[in-house]
Amino acid sequence: MSDGQIIAGYLAPHPPHLVYGENPDQNEARSQGGWEQLRWAYERARRSLEEQKPDVLLVHSPHWITQQGHHFLGVPHLSGKSVDPIFPNLFRYSFELDVDTELAEACCDMAADMGLTTKMMRNPKFRVDYGTITTLHMIRPQWDIPVVGISANNSPYYLTTEEGLEEMDVLGKATRKAIEATGRRAVLLASNTLCHLHFSEEPVPPEDMAQEHPHDYEGYLWDMRIIDLLRQGKTQEVFEVLPQFIDEAFAEVKSGAFTWMFSAMGYPEIPGELHGYGTVIGTGNAVMEWDLIKAGLAQAAEGEPA
Amino acid sequence: MTVVAAFMVPGSPLPYVRRDNPPWGALADAMEKAGKALNTAQPDTLVVYSTQWIAVLDQLWQTRPHLVDVHVDENWHEYGELPFDITIDTELAAAAVSATNAAGIKSKGVDYDKFPVDTGTIVASAFLNPDNKHSLVITSNNVYHDWEMTRTLGRVVAEQAQSLGRKIAVIGVGGLSGSYFRHNIDIGQDRIASDSEDAWNRRVLGLMEQGDVAGLQEQCPAYAAEAKVDMGFKHFAFLMGALGDHFSSATVHGYGPLHGAGGAVVEYHL
Repeated sequence: MSDGQIIAGYLAPHPPHLVYGENPDQNEARSQGGWEQLRWAYERARRSLEEQKPDVLLVHSPHWITQQGHHFLGVPHLSGKSVDPIFPNLFRYSFELDVDTELAEACCDMAADMGLTTKMMRNPKFRVDYGTITTLHMIRPQWDIPVVGISANNSPYYLTTEEGLEEMDVLGKATRKAIEATGRRAVLLASNTLCHLHFSEEPVPPEDMAQEHPHDYEGYLWDMRIIDLLRQGKTQEVFEVLPQFIDEAFAEVKSGAFTWMFSAMGYPEIPGELHGYGTVIGTGNAVMEWDLIKAGLAQAAEGEPA
Repeated sequence: MTVVAAFMVPGSPLPYVRRDNPPWGALADAMEKAGKALNTAQPDTLVVYSTQWIAVLDQLWQTRPHLVDVHVDENWHEYGELPFDITIDTELAAAAVSATNAAGIKSKGVDYDKFPVDTGTIVASAFLNPDNKHSLVITSNNVYHDWEMTRTLGRVVAEQAQSLGRKIAVIGVGGLSGSYFRHNIDIGQDRIASDSEDAWNRRVLGLMEQGDVAGLQEQCPAYAAEAKVDMGFKHFAFLMGALGDHFSSATVHGYGPLHGAGGAVVEYHL
Protein backbone atom coordinates (compact mmCIF):
# COMPACT_ATOMS: atom_id res chain seq x y z
CA MET A 1 0.00 0.00 0.00
CA SER A 2 1.25 3.52 -0.69
CA ASP A 3 0.00 7.08 -1.30
CA GLY A 4 -0.75 7.65 2.35
CA GLN A 5 -0.91 11.25 3.42
CA ILE A 6 -1.36 13.60 6.31
CA ILE A 7 -4.61 15.41 5.68
CA ALA A 8 -4.68 17.72 8.70
CA GLY A 9 -3.02 18.67 11.92
CA TYR A 10 -4.56 20.09 15.06
CA LEU A 11 -3.18 21.83 18.06
CA ALA A 12 -5.32 19.94 20.56
CA PRO A 13 -4.54 20.70 24.20
CA HIS A 14 -5.48 18.31 26.97
CA PRO A 15 -6.69 20.07 30.13
CA PRO A 16 -8.90 17.46 31.82
CA HIS A 17 -11.14 20.34 32.82
CA LEU A 18 -12.62 20.28 29.32
CA VAL A 19 -13.82 16.72 29.73
CA TYR A 20 -15.06 17.56 33.22
CA GLY A 21 -16.95 20.56 31.87
CA GLU A 22 -18.61 18.47 29.18
CA ASN A 23 -19.92 15.76 31.54
CA PRO A 24 -19.59 12.75 29.21
CA ASP A 25 -20.83 9.41 30.47
CA GLN A 26 -17.29 8.05 30.59
CA ASN A 27 -16.18 10.53 33.26
CA GLU A 28 -17.24 9.97 36.87
CA ALA A 29 -16.88 13.57 37.98
CA ARG A 30 -19.83 15.88 37.33
CA SER A 31 -19.75 19.62 36.72
CA GLN A 32 -21.99 22.55 35.95
CA GLY A 33 -20.04 23.21 32.78
CA GLY A 34 -17.22 25.68 32.43
CA TRP A 35 -14.48 26.47 29.87
CA GLU A 36 -17.18 26.79 27.19
CA GLN A 37 -15.01 28.81 24.81
CA LEU A 38 -12.56 25.94 24.55
CA ARG A 39 -15.19 23.23 24.53
CA TRP A 40 -17.06 24.97 21.75
CA ALA A 41 -13.77 25.37 19.91
CA TYR A 42 -13.40 21.61 20.06
CA GLU A 43 -16.97 21.24 18.74
CA ARG A 44 -15.92 23.19 15.65
CA ALA A 45 -12.80 21.06 15.32
CA ARG A 46 -14.93 17.92 15.59
CA ARG A 47 -17.00 19.06 12.62
CA SER A 48 -13.86 19.58 10.55
CA LEU A 49 -12.53 16.19 11.51
CA GLU A 50 -15.81 14.59 10.50
CA GLU A 51 -15.43 16.08 7.02
CA GLN A 52 -11.82 15.02 6.71
CA LYS A 53 -12.64 11.33 7.23
CA PRO A 54 -9.25 10.17 8.46
CA ASP A 55 -8.27 6.52 8.81
CA VAL A 56 -6.25 7.21 11.92
CA LEU A 57 -5.51 9.83 14.57
CA LEU A 58 -1.95 10.18 15.81
CA VAL A 59 -1.46 11.89 19.14
CA HIS A 60 1.78 12.95 20.84
CA SER A 61 1.19 13.49 24.55
CA PRO A 62 3.41 15.23 27.11
CA HIS A 63 1.92 13.11 29.87
CA TRP A 64 3.40 9.85 28.65
CA ILE A 65 6.95 10.72 29.55
CA THR A 66 9.72 8.34 28.55
CA GLN A 67 13.44 8.55 29.17
CA GLN A 68 14.79 5.80 26.94
CA GLY A 69 13.48 6.59 23.50
CA HIS A 70 10.23 7.47 21.80
CA HIS A 71 7.51 4.92 22.52
CA PHE A 72 4.39 3.93 20.60
CA LEU A 73 1.23 2.24 21.81
CA GLY A 74 1.38 -1.21 20.30
CA VAL A 75 -1.59 -3.14 21.68
CA PRO A 76 -4.61 -3.47 19.33
CA HIS A 77 -7.18 -2.67 21.99
CA LEU A 78 -6.65 -0.86 25.26
CA SER A 79 -9.19 -0.11 27.93
CA GLY A 80 -9.31 0.95 31.54
CA LYS A 81 -9.94 3.84 33.82
CA SER A 82 -7.64 6.81 33.64
CA VAL A 83 -7.41 9.00 36.73
CA ASP A 84 -5.53 12.26 36.42
CA PRO A 85 -2.87 12.31 39.15
CA ILE A 86 -3.03 16.12 39.36
CA PHE A 87 -6.79 16.61 39.05
CA PRO A 88 -8.32 13.34 40.27
CA ASN A 89 -11.34 15.31 41.43
CA LEU A 90 -12.07 16.21 37.80
CA PHE A 91 -10.95 13.34 35.63
CA ARG A 92 -11.75 9.68 36.24
CA TYR A 93 -12.46 8.46 32.75
CA SER A 94 -13.29 4.97 31.53
CA PHE A 95 -11.74 4.59 28.10
CA GLU A 96 -11.59 2.08 25.31
CA LEU A 97 -9.55 2.64 22.21
CA ASP A 98 -8.31 0.78 19.16
CA VAL A 99 -4.72 1.19 18.08
CA ASP A 100 -3.53 1.14 14.48
CA THR A 101 -0.66 -1.15 15.36
CA GLU A 102 0.53 -1.51 11.77
CA LEU A 103 1.09 2.21 11.49
CA ALA A 104 2.53 2.40 15.01
CA GLU A 105 5.06 -0.30 14.13
CA ALA A 106 5.91 1.54 10.91
CA CYS A 107 6.45 4.80 12.80
CA CYS A 108 8.60 3.02 15.35
CA ASP A 109 10.72 1.29 12.71
CA MET A 110 11.06 4.40 10.55
CA ALA A 111 12.14 6.56 13.48
CA ALA A 112 14.69 3.93 14.46
CA ASP A 113 15.99 3.84 10.90
CA MET A 114 16.40 7.61 11.11
CA GLY A 115 18.55 7.33 14.22
CA LEU A 116 16.14 7.64 17.13
CA THR A 117 15.83 5.20 19.98
CA THR A 118 12.32 3.78 19.78
CA LYS A 119 10.23 1.18 21.52
CA MET A 120 6.83 -0.40 21.06
CA MET A 121 4.61 -0.59 24.13
CA ARG A 122 3.11 -4.07 23.96
CA ASN A 123 1.85 -4.57 27.50
CA PRO A 124 -1.96 -4.90 27.46
CA LYS A 125 -2.22 -3.74 31.07
CA PHE A 126 -0.63 -0.40 30.29
CA ARG A 127 -2.53 2.64 31.57
CA VAL A 128 -2.93 5.21 28.81
CA ASP A 129 -2.09 8.70 30.04
CA TYR A 130 -4.77 11.31 30.60
CA GLY A 131 -3.26 13.71 28.05
CA THR A 132 -3.75 11.22 25.24
CA ILE A 133 -7.25 10.40 26.42
CA THR A 134 -8.36 14.00 26.91
CA THR A 135 -7.17 15.10 23.49
CA LEU A 136 -8.79 12.11 21.80
CA HIS A 137 -12.06 12.55 23.65
CA MET A 138 -12.25 16.23 22.88
CA ILE A 139 -11.56 15.81 19.16
CA ARG A 140 -13.52 12.60 18.58
CA PRO A 141 -15.74 11.53 21.49
CA GLN A 142 -17.18 8.64 19.47
CA TRP A 143 -13.82 6.81 19.78
CA ASP A 144 -14.47 5.17 16.39
CA ILE A 145 -11.19 6.02 14.65
CA PRO A 146 -8.05 3.98 15.40
CA VAL A 147 -5.22 5.85 17.05
CA VAL A 148 -1.46 5.86 17.31
CA GLY A 149 -0.26 7.09 20.69
CA ILE A 150 3.26 8.48 20.91
CA SER A 151 5.18 9.23 24.10
CA ALA A 152 7.00 12.44 24.87
CA ASN A 153 10.64 11.54 25.21
CA ASN A 154 11.99 13.96 27.76
CA SER A 155 14.94 15.02 25.59
CA PRO A 156 13.93 18.73 25.53
CA TYR A 157 14.26 18.75 29.32
CA TYR A 158 17.21 16.38 29.70
CA LEU A 159 19.18 17.90 26.85
CA THR A 160 18.79 21.49 25.67
CA THR A 161 15.45 22.62 24.28
CA GLU A 162 16.97 22.87 20.83
CA GLU A 163 18.55 19.41 20.95
CA GLY A 164 15.32 17.90 22.19
CA LEU A 165 13.21 19.56 19.56
CA GLU A 166 15.63 18.37 16.88
CA GLU A 167 14.68 14.85 17.93
CA MET A 168 11.00 15.75 17.63
CA ASP A 169 11.70 17.07 14.15
CA VAL A 170 13.19 13.72 13.17
CA LEU A 171 10.26 11.95 14.80
CA GLY A 172 7.89 14.02 12.70
CA LYS A 173 9.71 13.22 9.48
CA ALA A 174 9.68 9.54 10.36
CA THR A 175 5.97 9.71 11.13
CA ARG A 176 5.26 11.22 7.74
CA LYS A 177 7.24 8.52 5.94
CA ALA A 178 5.44 5.80 7.88
CA ILE A 179 2.05 7.29 7.03
CA GLU A 180 2.97 7.49 3.36
CA ALA A 181 4.28 3.94 3.34
CA THR A 182 1.22 2.46 5.00
CA GLY A 183 -1.30 4.31 2.86
CA ARG A 184 -3.14 5.95 5.71
CA ARG A 185 -5.12 9.17 5.59
CA ALA A 186 -3.90 10.55 8.86
CA VAL A 187 -4.71 13.42 11.17
CA LEU A 188 -2.08 14.57 13.65
CA LEU A 189 -2.91 15.85 17.11
CA ALA A 190 -0.36 17.92 19.01
CA SER A 191 -1.53 17.68 22.61
CA ASN A 192 0.05 20.88 23.87
CA THR A 193 -0.88 23.93 25.88
CA LEU A 194 0.76 27.24 24.98
CA CYS A 195 1.83 29.40 27.97
CA HIS A 196 1.88 27.05 30.91
CA LEU A 197 2.27 28.94 34.15
CA HIS A 198 -0.73 28.15 36.29
CA PHE A 199 -2.43 29.01 39.55
CA SER A 200 -1.52 26.95 42.57
CA GLU A 201 -5.03 26.71 43.99
CA GLU A 202 -8.31 25.55 42.49
CA PRO A 203 -11.46 27.62 42.92
CA VAL A 204 -14.54 26.09 44.50
CA PRO A 205 -16.21 24.87 42.40
CA PRO A 206 -13.41 24.28 39.87
CA GLU A 207 -15.72 25.44 37.07
CA ASP A 208 -16.23 28.89 38.59
CA MET A 209 -15.35 30.86 35.48
CA ALA A 210 -15.28 34.09 37.44
CA GLN A 211 -11.90 32.88 38.67
CA GLU A 212 -10.53 31.88 35.26
CA HIS A 213 -8.14 34.20 33.46
CA PRO A 214 -4.57 34.17 32.13
CA HIS A 215 -1.98 33.51 34.81
CA ASP A 216 0.03 36.51 33.70
CA TYR A 217 -0.16 39.19 31.07
CA GLU A 218 3.22 38.34 29.56
CA GLY A 219 2.13 34.79 28.88
CA TYR A 220 -1.09 36.00 27.32
CA LEU A 221 0.82 38.37 25.06
CA TRP A 222 3.12 35.56 23.99
CA ASP A 223 0.15 33.34 23.17
CA MET A 224 -1.46 36.04 21.07
CA ARG A 225 1.79 36.65 19.23
CA ILE A 226 2.20 32.96 18.43
CA ILE A 227 -1.45 32.50 17.43
CA ASP A 228 -1.34 35.59 15.25
CA LEU A 229 1.72 34.29 13.43
CA LEU A 230 0.11 30.88 13.00
CA ARG A 231 -3.09 32.44 11.66
CA GLN A 232 -0.99 34.28 9.08
CA GLY A 233 0.80 31.10 8.09
CA LYS A 234 4.16 32.42 9.24
CA THR A 235 5.35 29.02 10.35
CA GLN A 236 9.04 29.68 9.90
CA GLU A 237 8.83 32.78 12.08
CA VAL A 238 7.02 30.80 14.77
CA PHE A 239 9.79 28.25 14.90
CA GLU A 240 12.42 30.99 14.97
CA VAL A 241 10.93 32.41 18.17
CA LEU A 242 9.83 29.09 19.65
CA PRO A 243 12.79 28.66 22.05
CA GLN A 244 12.23 32.19 23.38
CA PHE A 245 8.50 31.53 23.74
CA ILE A 246 9.25 28.32 25.63
CA ASP A 247 11.66 30.04 27.99
CA GLU A 248 9.61 33.14 28.69
CA ALA A 249 6.12 31.64 28.80
CA PHE A 250 7.08 28.24 30.20
CA ALA A 251 5.26 26.94 27.12
CA GLU A 252 4.31 23.30 27.07
CA VAL A 253 5.20 23.07 23.40
CA LYS A 254 8.66 22.37 24.79
CA SER A 255 7.59 18.76 25.25
CA GLY A 256 7.68 18.28 21.52
CA ALA A 257 4.21 17.58 20.12
CA PHE A 258 3.96 20.90 18.29
CA THR A 259 7.34 20.43 16.59
CA TRP A 260 6.58 16.78 15.80
CA MET A 261 3.32 17.76 14.10
CA PHE A 262 4.75 20.61 12.04
CA SER A 263 7.75 18.56 11.01
CA ALA A 264 5.46 15.76 9.84
CA MET A 265 3.37 18.26 7.87
CA GLY A 266 6.52 19.74 6.30
CA TYR A 267 6.28 23.08 8.15
CA PRO A 268 3.65 24.40 5.72
CA GLU A 269 3.39 28.17 5.43
CA ILE A 270 -0.40 28.07 5.47
CA PRO A 271 -2.80 29.90 7.76
CA GLY A 272 -3.99 27.91 10.72
CA GLU A 273 -7.64 28.18 11.63
CA LEU A 274 -8.18 29.21 15.21
CA HIS A 275 -11.23 27.43 16.55
CA GLY A 276 -10.88 29.06 19.94
CA TYR A 277 -8.63 30.14 22.77
CA GLY A 278 -9.12 30.03 26.49
CA THR A 279 -7.34 29.60 29.75
CA VAL A 280 -7.50 26.68 32.12
CA ILE A 281 -6.32 27.32 35.65
CA GLY A 282 -4.34 30.15 34.09
CA THR A 283 -2.64 28.26 31.24
CA GLY A 284 -3.20 29.32 27.64
CA ASN A 285 -4.91 26.87 25.30
CA ALA A 286 -5.65 27.20 21.61
CA VAL A 287 -7.54 24.74 19.44
CA MET A 288 -6.18 25.23 15.93
CA GLU A 289 -6.42 23.38 12.66
CA TRP A 290 -4.25 23.11 9.59
CA ASP A 291 -6.34 21.52 6.83
CA LEU A 292 -3.88 20.29 4.24
CA ILE A 293 -6.68 19.30 1.86
CA LYS A 294 -8.07 22.82 1.71
CA ALA A 295 -4.53 24.12 1.31
CA GLY A 296 -4.01 21.86 -1.69
CA LEU A 297 -1.30 19.90 0.06
CA ALA A 298 -3.32 16.69 0.40
CA GLN A 299 -6.10 15.03 -1.50
CA ALA A 300 -9.70 14.71 -0.37
CA ALA A 301 -11.11 11.26 0.17
CA GLU A 302 -12.65 9.64 -2.87
CA GLY A 303 -16.10 11.05 -3.50
CA GLU A 304 -15.50 14.06 -1.28
CA PRO A 305 -15.09 17.63 -2.55
CA ALA A 306 -11.63 19.16 -2.00
CA MET B 1 10.79 6.59 70.15
CA THR B 2 8.48 7.40 67.25
CA VAL B 3 10.85 6.87 64.34
CA VAL B 4 12.21 3.37 64.74
CA ALA B 5 13.81 2.96 61.33
CA ALA B 6 14.71 5.04 58.29
CA PHE B 7 15.78 4.11 54.79
CA MET B 8 16.55 5.63 51.43
CA VAL B 9 15.78 3.35 48.49
CA PRO B 10 15.71 3.84 44.72
CA GLY B 11 12.37 4.09 42.97
CA SER B 12 13.43 2.52 39.70
CA PRO B 13 11.52 -0.65 38.83
CA LEU B 14 14.61 -2.29 37.33
CA PRO B 15 15.82 -4.16 40.44
CA TYR B 16 12.31 -5.53 40.89
CA VAL B 17 11.44 -6.51 37.34
CA ARG B 18 14.90 -7.61 36.20
CA ARG B 19 16.76 -8.82 39.27
CA ASP B 20 18.30 -11.50 37.06
CA ASN B 21 20.52 -8.75 35.64
CA PRO B 22 23.54 -8.65 37.99
CA PRO B 23 23.92 -4.86 38.39
CA TRP B 24 20.24 -4.54 39.25
CA GLY B 25 20.02 -7.82 41.16
CA ALA B 26 22.58 -6.50 43.64
CA LEU B 27 20.25 -3.62 44.43
CA ALA B 28 17.35 -6.05 44.76
CA ASP B 29 19.36 -8.05 47.29
CA ALA B 30 20.10 -4.83 49.14
CA MET B 31 16.42 -3.93 49.19
CA GLU B 32 15.63 -7.27 50.76
CA LYS B 33 18.28 -6.70 53.43
CA ALA B 34 16.66 -3.37 54.17
CA GLY B 35 13.30 -5.10 54.37
CA LYS B 36 14.62 -7.49 57.00
CA ALA B 37 16.08 -4.62 59.01
CA LEU B 38 12.78 -2.80 58.79
CA ASN B 39 10.89 -5.81 60.07
CA THR B 40 13.27 -6.13 62.99
CA ALA B 41 12.46 -2.55 64.01
CA GLN B 42 8.76 -3.49 64.23
CA PRO B 43 7.18 -0.27 63.04
CA ASP B 44 3.44 0.21 63.04
CA THR B 45 3.44 2.25 59.87
CA LEU B 46 5.79 2.97 56.97
CA VAL B 47 5.86 6.62 55.94
CA VAL B 48 6.83 6.84 52.28
CA TYR B 49 7.87 9.93 50.32
CA SER B 50 8.41 9.14 46.66
CA THR B 51 9.98 11.49 44.15
CA GLN B 52 7.96 9.79 41.42
CA TRP B 53 4.58 10.79 42.78
CA ILE B 54 4.47 14.19 41.19
CA ALA B 55 2.09 16.80 42.58
CA VAL B 56 1.58 20.32 41.33
CA LEU B 57 -1.26 22.06 43.12
CA ASP B 58 -1.10 20.78 46.68
CA GLN B 59 0.77 18.35 48.84
CA LEU B 60 -1.12 15.11 48.24
CA TRP B 61 -1.49 12.24 50.70
CA GLN B 62 -3.03 8.91 49.87
CA THR B 63 -6.11 8.39 52.01
CA ARG B 64 -7.79 5.45 50.29
CA PRO B 65 -7.81 2.63 52.86
CA HIS B 66 -6.79 -0.17 50.53
CA LEU B 67 -4.96 0.02 47.21
CA VAL B 68 -4.90 -3.11 45.08
CA ASP B 69 -4.04 -3.02 41.40
CA VAL B 70 -1.47 -3.73 38.74
CA HIS B 71 0.74 -0.97 37.42
CA VAL B 72 2.84 -0.93 34.26
CA ASP B 73 5.77 1.45 34.25
CA GLU B 74 5.61 4.17 31.63
CA ASN B 75 9.16 3.59 30.46
CA TRP B 76 9.99 -0.02 31.34
CA HIS B 77 6.71 -1.62 30.28
CA GLU B 78 8.48 -4.44 28.43
CA TYR B 79 9.65 -5.93 31.73
CA GLY B 80 6.18 -6.72 32.99
CA GLU B 81 3.74 -5.61 35.61
CA LEU B 82 4.05 -4.22 39.11
CA PRO B 83 1.21 -5.65 41.20
CA PHE B 84 0.58 -4.00 44.54
CA ASP B 85 -1.54 -4.50 47.62
CA ILE B 86 -1.13 -1.61 50.03
CA THR B 87 -3.01 -0.74 53.20
CA ILE B 88 -3.05 2.90 54.22
CA ASP B 89 -2.85 4.18 57.78
CA THR B 90 -5.71 6.57 57.12
CA GLU B 91 -5.70 8.01 60.62
CA LEU B 92 -2.09 9.10 60.41
CA ALA B 93 -2.55 10.28 56.81
CA ALA B 94 -5.51 12.45 57.80
CA ALA B 95 -3.55 13.84 60.73
CA ALA B 96 -0.68 14.66 58.38
CA VAL B 97 -3.01 16.48 55.99
CA SER B 98 -4.39 18.61 58.80
CA ALA B 99 -1.03 19.31 60.37
CA THR B 100 0.74 20.21 57.14
CA ASN B 101 -2.09 22.58 56.29
CA ALA B 102 -1.67 24.12 59.72
CA ALA B 103 2.06 24.40 59.02
CA GLY B 104 1.28 26.47 55.94
CA ILE B 105 1.72 23.79 53.30
CA LYS B 106 -1.56 23.31 51.49
CA SER B 107 -2.37 19.61 51.59
CA LYS B 108 -5.18 17.28 50.74
CA GLY B 109 -5.95 13.60 50.71
CA VAL B 110 -6.72 11.55 47.61
CA ASP B 111 -9.22 8.73 47.85
CA TYR B 112 -10.05 7.53 44.37
CA ASP B 113 -10.39 4.14 42.74
CA LYS B 114 -7.60 3.64 40.18
CA PHE B 115 -5.64 6.67 41.30
CA PRO B 116 -2.23 6.09 39.72
CA VAL B 117 0.15 4.93 42.45
CA ASP B 118 3.69 5.68 41.31
CA THR B 119 6.32 3.10 40.44
CA GLY B 120 8.67 4.15 43.23
CA THR B 121 6.09 3.65 45.96
CA ILE B 122 5.11 0.28 44.55
CA VAL B 123 8.69 -0.95 44.29
CA ALA B 124 9.54 0.21 47.80
CA SER B 125 6.44 -1.43 49.19
CA ALA B 126 7.10 -4.66 47.32
CA PHE B 127 10.62 -5.02 48.70
CA LEU B 128 10.21 -3.58 52.20
CA ASN B 129 6.68 -4.73 52.95
CA PRO B 130 6.15 -7.76 50.71
CA ASP B 131 3.35 -9.30 52.75
CA ASN B 132 1.50 -6.02 53.32
CA LYS B 133 2.17 -6.57 57.02
CA HIS B 134 2.53 -2.87 57.76
CA SER B 135 0.23 -0.05 56.83
CA LEU B 136 1.63 2.88 54.88
CA VAL B 137 1.38 6.62 54.72
CA ILE B 138 2.26 7.75 51.19
CA THR B 139 2.89 11.31 50.19
CA SER B 140 3.82 13.11 47.03
CA ASN B 141 6.61 15.20 45.63
CA ASN B 142 5.19 18.61 44.86
CA VAL B 143 7.54 19.94 42.22
CA TYR B 144 7.23 23.48 43.52
CA HIS B 145 8.30 22.57 47.06
CA ASP B 146 11.89 23.24 47.96
CA TRP B 147 14.22 21.46 50.35
CA GLU B 148 12.97 23.27 53.42
CA MET B 149 9.29 22.68 52.70
CA THR B 150 9.97 19.01 52.08
CA ARG B 151 11.94 18.80 55.29
CA THR B 152 8.95 20.34 57.07
CA LEU B 153 6.70 17.62 55.67
CA GLY B 154 8.92 14.95 57.18
CA ARG B 155 9.03 16.75 60.52
CA VAL B 156 5.28 17.23 60.66
CA VAL B 157 4.37 13.65 59.82
CA ALA B 158 6.78 12.38 62.50
CA GLU B 159 5.18 14.74 65.02
CA GLN B 160 1.74 13.45 64.11
CA ALA B 161 2.92 9.87 64.43
CA GLN B 162 4.15 10.70 67.90
CA SER B 163 0.81 12.26 68.79
CA LEU B 164 -0.98 9.11 67.69
CA GLY B 165 1.48 6.80 69.39
CA ARG B 166 2.68 5.26 66.16
CA LYS B 167 6.09 3.73 65.68
CA ILE B 168 7.08 4.57 62.13
CA ALA B 169 9.70 3.65 59.60
CA VAL B 170 10.47 6.56 57.30
CA ILE B 171 11.35 5.77 53.70
CA GLY B 172 12.65 8.26 51.17
CA VAL B 173 12.16 6.79 47.71
CA GLY B 174 14.38 8.31 45.08
CA GLY B 175 17.60 8.08 43.17
CA LEU B 176 21.07 9.55 43.47
CA SER B 177 22.87 10.97 40.42
CA GLY B 178 20.59 11.70 37.53
CA SER B 179 22.53 11.28 34.31
CA TYR B 180 21.33 8.18 32.52
CA PHE B 181 21.76 6.33 29.28
CA ARG B 182 19.12 7.55 26.85
CA HIS B 183 19.73 4.75 24.41
CA ASN B 184 19.73 0.98 24.59
CA ILE B 185 22.71 -0.52 26.39
CA ASP B 186 24.00 -3.95 27.27
CA ILE B 187 22.23 -4.00 30.60
CA GLY B 188 24.70 -6.52 32.01
CA GLN B 189 27.36 -3.83 31.63
CA ASP B 190 25.33 -1.04 33.21
CA ARG B 191 27.40 1.54 35.07
CA ILE B 192 27.06 5.03 36.51
CA ALA B 193 26.94 7.21 33.41
CA SER B 194 29.26 9.91 34.71
CA ASP B 195 32.51 9.37 36.60
CA SER B 196 32.18 12.70 38.39
CA GLU B 197 28.65 11.88 39.45
CA ASP B 198 29.82 8.47 40.65
CA ALA B 199 32.44 10.22 42.78
CA TRP B 200 29.80 12.56 44.18
CA ASN B 201 27.50 9.65 45.04
CA ARG B 202 30.29 7.84 46.86
CA ARG B 203 31.28 10.96 48.76
CA VAL B 204 27.73 11.55 49.97
CA LEU B 205 27.18 7.92 50.87
CA GLY B 206 30.45 8.05 52.82
CA LEU B 207 29.17 11.02 54.80
CA MET B 208 26.01 9.08 55.55
CA GLU B 209 27.98 6.07 56.75
CA GLN B 210 29.89 8.37 59.09
CA GLY B 211 26.71 10.01 60.35
CA ASP B 212 28.18 13.37 59.35
CA VAL B 213 24.94 15.31 59.23
CA ALA B 214 26.65 18.69 59.24
CA GLY B 215 28.80 17.61 56.30
CA LEU B 216 25.75 16.38 54.44
CA GLN B 217 23.85 19.59 55.03
CA GLU B 218 26.80 21.53 53.68
CA GLN B 219 27.35 19.30 50.66
CA CYS B 220 23.78 18.51 49.61
CA PRO B 221 23.05 21.68 47.61
CA ALA B 222 26.17 21.28 45.49
CA TYR B 223 25.64 17.53 45.20
CA ALA B 224 22.05 17.98 44.05
CA ALA B 225 23.08 20.47 41.39
CA GLU B 226 26.33 18.97 40.14
CA ALA B 227 25.26 15.32 40.15
CA LYS B 228 21.79 16.13 38.78
CA VAL B 229 20.31 14.28 41.72
CA ASP B 230 16.79 12.96 41.39
CA MET B 231 14.39 15.80 42.22
CA GLY B 232 17.01 17.82 44.03
CA PHE B 233 17.52 15.03 46.60
CA LYS B 234 14.28 16.07 48.30
CA HIS B 235 13.65 12.50 49.45
CA PHE B 236 16.65 12.96 51.73
CA ALA B 237 15.24 16.29 52.92
CA PHE B 238 12.05 14.48 53.91
CA LEU B 239 14.08 11.91 55.79
CA MET B 240 16.09 14.57 57.59
CA GLY B 241 12.92 16.34 58.64
CA ALA B 242 11.44 13.16 60.06
CA LEU B 243 14.71 12.31 61.81
CA GLY B 244 15.10 15.75 63.33
CA ASP B 245 18.35 16.17 61.41
CA HIS B 246 19.98 13.39 63.32
CA PHE B 247 21.27 9.88 62.76
CA SER B 248 24.39 8.30 64.16
CA SER B 249 25.58 6.36 61.14
CA ALA B 250 24.27 4.51 58.13
CA THR B 251 24.71 1.20 56.37
CA VAL B 252 24.82 1.28 52.61
CA HIS B 253 23.29 -2.05 51.73
CA GLY B 254 23.82 -1.46 48.07
CA TYR B 255 24.91 1.13 45.52
CA GLY B 256 24.81 0.77 41.79
CA PRO B 257 23.65 1.90 38.38
CA LEU B 258 20.10 2.06 37.10
CA HIS B 259 20.58 2.52 33.37
CA GLY B 260 23.30 5.01 34.16
CA ALA B 261 21.65 6.83 37.04
CA GLY B 262 22.72 6.20 40.61
CA GLY B 263 20.74 4.29 43.18
CA ALA B 264 21.50 3.26 46.75
CA VAL B 265 19.80 1.37 49.53
CA VAL B 266 20.72 3.06 52.78
CA GLU B 267 19.69 2.22 56.32
CA TYR B 268 20.09 5.06 58.82
CA HIS B 269 20.99 4.13 62.39
CA LEU B 270 19.15 6.26 64.91
